[in-house]
Amino acid sequence: MDERLSQALEFSNYITTINNQKRMIKEKYFQSLIYFCQGGQFTITKELITFVTLLVEKGNVENIVLVDDNNTPIGINNLELFLEDILSNYFESSNTYHQQYTELSKKRNIKALVDND
Amino acid sequence: MTKGVVLIANNNGSVDYVKQAMYCAGRVQQYLELPVTLITDSYNYAVEVSGNIFDKIISTDYQESNNSKIYFDGALSHKVVMFKNHSRTVAYYNTPYDQTILMDTDYLISSDILNKCFSMTTDLMMYKDSYDLSNVRDVSEFKYISDKSVDFYWATVVYFEKSKKNDIYFNLIDHIEENWKYYQNMYDINSNLFRNDFAFSIAIHIMSGFTSNNVVSLQLPGKHYYAIDKDILWNIKNENMTFLVHKKKYEGQYTLLSTTGLDVHVMNKFSLERIINNE
Repeated sequence: MDERLSQALEFSNYITTINNQKRMIKEKYFQSLIYFCQGGQFTITKELITFVTLLVEKGNVENIVLVDDNNTPIGINNLELFLEDILSNYFESSNTYHQQYTELSKKRNIKALVDND
Repeated sequence: MTKGVVLIANNNGSVDYVKQAMYCAGRVQQYLELPVTLITDSYNYAVEVSGNIFDKIISTDYQESNNSKIYFDGALSHKVVMFKNHSRTVAYYNTPYDQTILMDTDYLISSDILNKCFSMTTDLMMYKDSYDLSNVRDVSEFKYISDKSVDFYWATVVYFEKSKKNDIYFNLIDHIEENWKYYQNMYDINSNLFRNDFAFSIAIHIMSGFTSNNVVSLQLPGKHYYAIDKDILWNIKNENMTFLVHKKKYEGQYTLLSTTGLDVHVMNKFSLERIINNE
């Protein structure tokens, strides 16, 4: 095979694989952003964080009803604690995602991309 | 309230589901720290080979099945073998736990996310949202049970508690299985193959007043990740799994993909068996 074509195909395989891996770490990130509280399931989004911050700043902190991912209304006993937890989870998950993404971007061949060692 | 996982393993002469169940149980104990009960028609074999891995082993009657299915092992190899997927509801009637996760033996746990089921405010959960690891294939068969029919729910993992509502739900699934020809026609399902996913989906549709507004179950935590049987499970190391994912439109060609900390439904039973045998 012409070496130019061979190099292009090798690059194409590398790009496909790195994109696969980026998808997988993104999925893991989304999964880690799910927060469970008082029988409800909440996906931590910027919208949720902003809304809860607003409620807390306005002094609404006890027995606040939030609608969860399954559209079930959940009474949250302590919204300040809820906010603390989702912020902590958000930062931890985002930092891990950033770290994994950066490490992945440095890998220059297919074997390194999927190497679990 | 007691909690645990129930697995069903009915060997068919080609796939050793008991061995798969032992492997699956090991991962459940590692990541979920839950006891596992096995329900099997190969009771003596299971007792002989499983050691102490199962909390309980429950025997069911051996049943021949005329349900046959093509099992792929990667894109270029396949076998037609008996698909013994009958009476999945036996798990509901026989579970020794108050809160149960019923799981396929080819569902490989790599995280603790399913433990969140036990604190949710519902008595029935299963997956509707799913994610094909390849992300490029047509996934419509897992959105609706047929082109002109109702929403698809996965019976691969089901969380349940005993309740009046769930008694009705699981009895209805038995009724659908017993009258499969009728429901197959009614719901416009092209394949003759009985699938638990179909029966569970139809039962949800009926109990929701023949609407798609599911009032029976909630979505399990997270998503249902799966690799089809044309993909090959290549390697497992703790919570890391490496797959050769079949390239769409390029028969016999694959791309590499690895997952970390995600539970994955591995449909290629032969590649899973190779991994288990090599451990």
